[in-house]
Order: sequence, then structure tokens, then C-alpha cells
Amino acid sequence: MSSLLSKMGNCLLLLGLKKEKRPVTLLLVGLDNAGKTTAAKGIVGEPMEDVAPTVGFAPENLEYRGCEVTIYDLGGGSKIRPVWTKYFSEIHGVIFVVDSSDASRLEECKEVLVKLLSDKKIAGKPILVLANKQDVEGAMDEVDVVEGLGIEAVVNKYKCPTRVETCTATTTRSTNKPDKPIADGFRWLIDTIVVHYAVINKRVVKDMERERNHQKKEMEERKERLLRLRLERERAEKR
Amino acid sequence: MGLLSLLRKLKSAPDQELRILLLGLDNAGKTTLLKKLASEDITQTTPTQGFNIKSVQSDGFKLNVWDIGGQRKIRPYWRNYFENTDVLIYVIDSGDRKRFEETGQELGEILSEEKLAGVPVLIFANKQDLFNAAPASEIAEGLQLHTIRDRTWQIQACSATSGEGVKDGLDWVCKNLKKK
Ligand SMILES: Nc1nc2c(ncn2[C@@H]2O[C@H](COP(=O)(O)OP(=O)(O)OP(=O)(O)O)[C@@H](O)[C@H]2O)c(=O)[nH]1
Ligand SMILES: Nc1nc2c(ncn2[C@@H]2O[C@H](COP(=O)(O)OP(=O)(O)OP(=O)(O)O)[C@@H](O)[C@H]2O)c(=O)[nH]1
Ligand SMILES: [Mg+2]
Ligand SMILES: [Mg+2]
Repeated sequence: MSSLLSKMGNCLLLLGLKKEKRPVTLLLVGLDNAGKTTAAKGIVGEPMEDVAPTVGFAPENLEYRGCEVTIYDLGGGSKIRPVWTKYFSEIHGVIFVVDSSDASRLEECKEVLVKLLSDKKIAGKPILVLANKQDVEGAMDEVDVVEGLGIEAVVNKYKCPTRVETCTATTTRSTNKPDKPIADGFRWLIDTIVVHYAVINKRVVKDMERERNHQKKEMEERKERLLRLRLERERAEKR
Repeated sequence: MGLLSLLRKLKSAPDQELRILLLGLDNAGKTTLLKKLASEDITQTTPTQGFNIKSVQSDGFKLNVWDIGGQRKIRPYWRNYFENTDVLIYVIDSGDRKRFEETGQELGEILSEEKLAGVPVLIFANKQDLFNAAPASEIAEGLQLHTIRDRTWQIQACSATSGEGVKDGLDWVCKNLKKK
């Protein structure tokens, strides 16, 4: 009896293990005003009527095809862009959103994209490019965006599996469903990550470990500095 | 419940009360900000010894804003105010770079408190009218904001004295209420 129970227990344990979802973390970036937050809200099924510019960190979570997906929606403005790198070690894939209606910022967008993909922690990871705002008259089409940003050259150079989708992130507001190209692109991104999960996740684990050690060291130094300041202050107050 | 439906629900129930906590080091401008929110005269503030509370209407919400003194000897009492907080507004003096590490550490300690788990944080990067005010990236770095992973955070540049950016910050607050 007890052995049967323990066998059942083992069985349940196995089932439980099997059900465990894979963690997948995505970086959602691009210039400010590209439509990142709008797209993210569509993906998680919480469309927003009006979005404010992100100057910080707006994580979204969803379960998708056996994965526990976290999307790091970061601010795209030039003043907050430097924080992007702080998240690189954790991510399995990238969603890069482009405002296709704004040709005047293509150059800036290209620089940002090249800098992103050339980073050691990003190179080789899958990237979904969303050429957004197709509803705007005169918006650049797929070819314009791919050429304008030099996507072919850069993803080949850094060996990133890539997919480009033209889309309109705001359609989700009226239909309450994610924009089809975004949904398709998202499925491709997750599937690609899943296929290469072992390799990508090994990098993630290693990079995160390094980052953690670095952070720990920094925190200790910081604590010491603050302690020194406090002692100095207390000495001054005594006088 | 999705955030949108939550917002709709809240909006259809006027005067939904929310508790907002204003914290930050001494001299950051919390009391000035509170007075500005309540459209009061801001020419005179003195360091807050205990707390001030005001109720502000915004977007159909009734925001009960608690402003707590930030002097070092008062900081241990901050924790008395954590309960039932919907959004934390953390105010910093953007010109006071010397104290970024100190204020970052205080923030880190606050956020590790169980009672504030998951509560969204708005960083009011105050005193942007000063010529040496730090930009968002420097504030994020100085305060080590990237170490916050369990909730959303946003930096809002503002000036409590001129009022610039204050309304934008409140808009963010109303959009990012803790999902209940
Ligand atoms: N016409 C049109 N407007 C869009 C579309 N997607 C987003 N927008 C609008 O573009 C503006 C910026 O959208 P956000 O989602 O806030 O952009 P973001 O990339 O998150 O910007 P930051 O947070 O500043 O980096 C908003 O006014 C959106 O309503 C789209 O497909 N078509
Ligand atoms: N230049 C400038 N000065 C400001 C601004 N906001 C506040 N101050 C000044 O900063 C000083 C401190 O402001 P308070 O509002 O009293 O600061 P506090 O955060 O409430 O300080 P404690 O109550 O001690 O925690 C005052 O002299 C304010 O006039 C601002 O936006 N710009
Ligand atoms: Mg955004
Ligand atoms: Mg005060």
C-alpha cells in the first residue's frame, strides 16, 4: 500500500514537473512613440485607450504555449534608453518596434538597432521587428523599413534569426483581439526561442550569474560608501 | 480582470478612493508637491515633522495623498504608513546628485517591505527647473532602478514650484493602479 502511494506520489511529481512552464523573457524596445506599450497591451489582451510615454519599466506577463512569458516594455526616449542594457543578460528574444509613419527618424532608429544587436548579450538571439502604424497614410512598407534600417546587413552580421511584420498595434482597441501580424510575429518569436531554448537559456543563465555577481559587488561598495558618509556626518554632528 | 475593465469599473464608481504615499529624503519637495496638487500657496514650506494629508480629485478618482517627513530621524516611521498603499510616489531632488545613492538605498529598503509588494512606483524627478537637474538615465543609474523587477516604475520629470510635469505624473498614477 505504502509503495503504491509512493508510486502515485512519484507519478504526480512527474506530472507536476512536466507541467512546469519555461520562463521566457522578452525585451520590447524601439524609439519613443513607436507603439511598444500599445503593442504589449494588445499582446496580453488589455488594450489601452490612451497610453502615456514610458520613462521606466513596465513589465507584462502572460502564459503562452507552455511558456511563462515576461515582456520588459522599456521607455524608448533618448533620456531613458541607456537603461536598456541593464536588462540584456536576462532576455531570450527581442521585439523591436518601428514607427513606419516617421521616415524622419529612420537614421536614429537604425543607429539604435545596430547598437542593440551588436551587443554581446543580444547578438544571435531572435528578433521580431514590428513595422508599426501601417494605418497611417504614406506609412513605409516592409521593403522601405527593411532597406531604410539596413536590417538585412545587421541581422546577418550578428546572426540573429529575424522576422519582420507590418502591423497596426492600435487595431486591438476596436477589435479587442491582437493585431493579426503582431500575433503571428509573436508566435514565431516564441516558437523560435523554444526551438533554440537550450542554447539561448544557457547564455541567459551564464550572463545572469555574471550580472548578479557584479551587482552584488556594486551594492557592497555602495553600502560601504554610505556607511562612511554616515560616520563622517555623525562625527561632524558631535563636534 | 483586465486593467481596462478595472479602469472602467473604477470610473463608473466616482470617488473611488485611493491611497497614495509620498516619500523621499528631506528637502526633496514632497510638501511643496502636495500643496501644488491641492492648488495651495507654495511659497512657504517647513521641514515636515510628522505627516500632511490632502485629498485630490483626478480622473474620477479621489486620491488621498499622504506626505511624510523625510528627515533622517523620521525615516524609521515611514513604515507606519505602508498599509493599503495603492501607488508609491517617491520624490527626489534631481539636482542633489550627492544624495542619489542614499535615496536609492532608502527606496530599495522600502520596496523590500511585504506591505508594499507589487505597488507601482512613480519617481518624481523634482526640481527640474534647476540648471543642473539630472536627466532620467542618470537618475535611473544613481538610484539603481533597474534592480526593481517585481513591479512597474516610471520616472516623471517635474517641478513642484512651477507645476510642470505634475499632472503627467498623476495621469500615470491613475493608469497604473495596483491590480487588485
Ligand atoms: N496611428 C497609429 N498610432 C499608433 C499605433 N500604435 C501606437 N500608436 C500611437 O502612438 C503613440 C505612442 O504609442 P506608445 O505605445 O506609447 O509608444 P511607445 O513605443 O511605448 O513609446 P515610449 O513609451 O515613449 O517609448 C500613442 O499615441 C499611440 O496611440 C498604430 O498602429 N497606429
Ligand atoms: N527649485 C525648486 N525648488 C523646489 C522645488 N520643489 C520644492 N523646492 C524647494 O525645496 C525645499 C524643500 O521643499 P519641501 O517641500 O519642504 O521638501 P520636503 O520633501 O517636504 O522635505 P521634508 O518635509 O523635510 O521631508 C523648499 O525650499 C522648496 O521651496 C522645485 O521644483 N524646484
Ligand atoms: Mg511605452
Ligand atoms: Mg515636507
